[in-house]
Amino acid sequence: MQRVFNWFTPKRETWLFRVNPALKFIVFFAFLIITLVNQSLPFAISQAILYGILFYIFSGYSLKKLLLLSIPLVISFLSTGLTMLLFGKGETVLWQWGLLKISEESIQHALLLGSKSLSFGFVGFTFILTIQPVLFFYAMMQQFRLPSKYAYSFIAAFRLIPAVTEELQIRRNALKVRNIQFSKGFRGIYERLQSYTVPLFAQSIRRAQRIAVAMEAKQYQMGAARTYYYPTRYTGVDMVFLLVMICSLSSAFLLSIYR
Amino acid sequence: MNNISVTDLRLKFPGEDALVFKDLSFSVQSGEKVLMLGPSGCGKSTLLQVLSGIIPNSIELPMKATSIQLPDSWGFVFQDPDTQFCMTYVDEELAFVLENLQVQREEMAPRIEEVLKRVDLHLIDAHTPINEMSQGMKQRLALASVLLLEPDVLFLDEPSALLDPEGTQQIWTSIKEATADKTVIIVEHKIDLIADWVDRVVLFNDHGVILADGSPADIFANFQEELKRYGIWYPGVWEEYKTSDAFQLMMLNRQVVSSQEKIHIEDFHGYRGLVEKISAKHATVQAGDWITIVGENGSGKSTLLLSLMQLLRTNGVYEVNGVAIVWKKKKRQLPKGLSLVFQNPELQFVTNSITEELTVSLHGMPKADADMYAKELMRLFNLPDSVSRHPYQLSTGQKRRLSVATALTPSTDILLLDEPTFGQDARNTFAILEKLEQLRTKGMTILMVTHDTEIVENFATAVWTVVDGVVHTANGVGGAKSV
Repeated sequence: MQRVFNWFTPKRETWLFRVNPALKFIVFFAFLIITLVNQSLPFAISQAILYGILFYIFSGYSLKKLLLLSIPLVISFLSTGLTMLLFGKGETVLWQWGLLKISEESIQHALLLGSKSLSFGFVGFTFILTIQPVLFFYAMMQQFRLPSKYAYSFIAAFRLIPAVTEELQIRRNALKVRNIQFSKGFRGIYERLQSYTVPLFAQSIRRAQRIAVAMEAKQYQMGAARTYYYPTRYTGVDMVFLLVMICSLSSAFLLSIYR
Repeated sequence: MNNISVTDLRLKFPGEDALVFKDLSFSVQSGEKVLMLGPSGCGKSTLLQVLSGIIPNSIELPMKATSIQLPDSWGFVFQDPDTQFCMTYVDEELAFVLENLQVQREEMAPRIEEVLKRVDLHLIDAHTPINEMSQGMKQRLALASVLLLEPDVLFLDEPSALLDPEGTQQIWTSIKEATADKTVIIVEHKIDLIADWVDRVVLFNDHGVILADGSPADIFANFQEELKRYGIWYPGVWEEYKTSDAFQLMMLNRQVVSSQEKIHIEDFHGYRGLVEKISAKHATVQAGDWITIVGENGSGKSTLLLSLMQLLRTNGVYEVNGVAIVWKKKKRQLPKGLSLVFQNPELQFVTNSITEELTVSLHGMPKADADMYAKELMRLFNLPDSVSRHPYQLSTGQKRRLSVATALTPSTDILLLDEPTFGQDARNTFAILEKLEQLRTKGMTILMVTHDTEIVENFATAVWTVVDGVVHTANGVGGAKSV
């Protein structure tokens, strides 16, 4: 499990790492909403290119890792694009074979949808690759007044992931040792699901409750004022980040209008 | 500093008829070190939570008391090292406490450094992942985070129950050093390191009633019978057990069961992923052997069991009952005759009742025979003969015994056990050891990981020591008279 976490260490820390994580979240979120509601194909394509630049150049990860992460992006691009391409509605039919029908409009829609899904992928990955979860929640508490109970539930849950994967492994071994044979077909899937989820849930619920009691025993109080070990504040980089993001989005927009 | 007291406490768990406490009164003077003893389930831990205010502030339970005086400042160390922390790193966890106290950020680093020294945790960098520490270190971190609260009163709920002997030694040393001027209230079964440190011992019976309350010397001299019955690891419990008739009789009958070779290992290696984690040059095991596997935490003892069970990739010569075992990735069946009992019993239960649990692995046996077989195991392991009882509803000791029983199918003749007595009280420990010895005399071969030197000396026929992933065998060590 530690290996999985270590995988997410960048080759170099770019300026994107120094941006306030909460601000980065809000800006990326707002930009994705623009992506979502946009209906213009040229603008969607230029946005995808813009976020592609962020992802491939400024995330600070080695090209090998970035290409590996690109696989799901390409798959989602192709799957959303192809469905739209082959089944989309349109007047100007270019090619037809049974149910499959390619029209000019469906090509347009396919590219639009494909670019949008690419944008989502690029932005999502760029965000995940360039933040530390703990710092993100510290920033959300300090800059955006996120109630500490939500922040700490996420942080504590994050800490529990390794424990759960380890238990899953033990459970798998235990079922093998007990020589448990599952039925074939759907019944087998149900049996398997039940034999994994029940004990793992029981353990997780118990663990979560104990941690909650331990946190309160350490005088954690919901809603009480607190100080912060990791101070997060706005710096010059945040200004640069905001300017760069707004300028590049505007130029992407202008480029798409005055081609 | 103030006294802590509760008068006429009544408390009940929802869904249960009996009261945990009926008109219990109890008080502690400031600066006193009090040890609470009693059978498991008698309500000691519950009382600790009432006295700290965790009940009813954090855990809501119906309770009432004529008067109750809680401490102004207190700290609580729990039993399980893995369920006390909400952050990933040592410094972050300690900072969490300081944040709760609204300590300014500039003061945090020096205070973290200082408190880590106080509990003898010497880390090169306080930004160390908690997961990489041993259980003993984690408990000392738990103590450190509690000390940051500057508590007058410390509540310790079995802080060493889940630690190996080394970790146990360390946590008690740190506790004694750090709490000299504080009130300390302890619930614990393993008490040989604190029996002469506490001022006062309070003994509870099964019904949450205080049976005795006095100096350690008084209690240990006058209530031995109760201490034994409640399974408390009081000083000298092993010596006493060794003079018991049951033990003497067992030792009389310790002849060599057979010279049939059960396991043969030659240049054997086990891997996690691509990395070699365990290796053994040469080892043999004969029918009726009881081999204890010892070694430091993380040396590879559990990995050895997983390798023998073929749950990890292995290579080299490995024969079980004369049949060569070759590792295959897509193997459906594990080696015949072998069974493994893991540390956590709950993760091994697969059905909804005790009987089903004992019959589920008996593929191809007629139902009537299987039920008879289960009945026999239930009798052998003192399990309640209840059709509806879910395995999760058993007591900790019963769960452990059931998990050992589930490994025993008619074809099992080699039993691998990962610390089967770990965290158990004295009575359960002796019960499990006696069952295992009974099986051994009938020809069962036992390989067992343990930290307990008394078990090694008194029950093992041979000891394997694992050092940094290498198995060293030396036959004939320990109290085994037969080999």
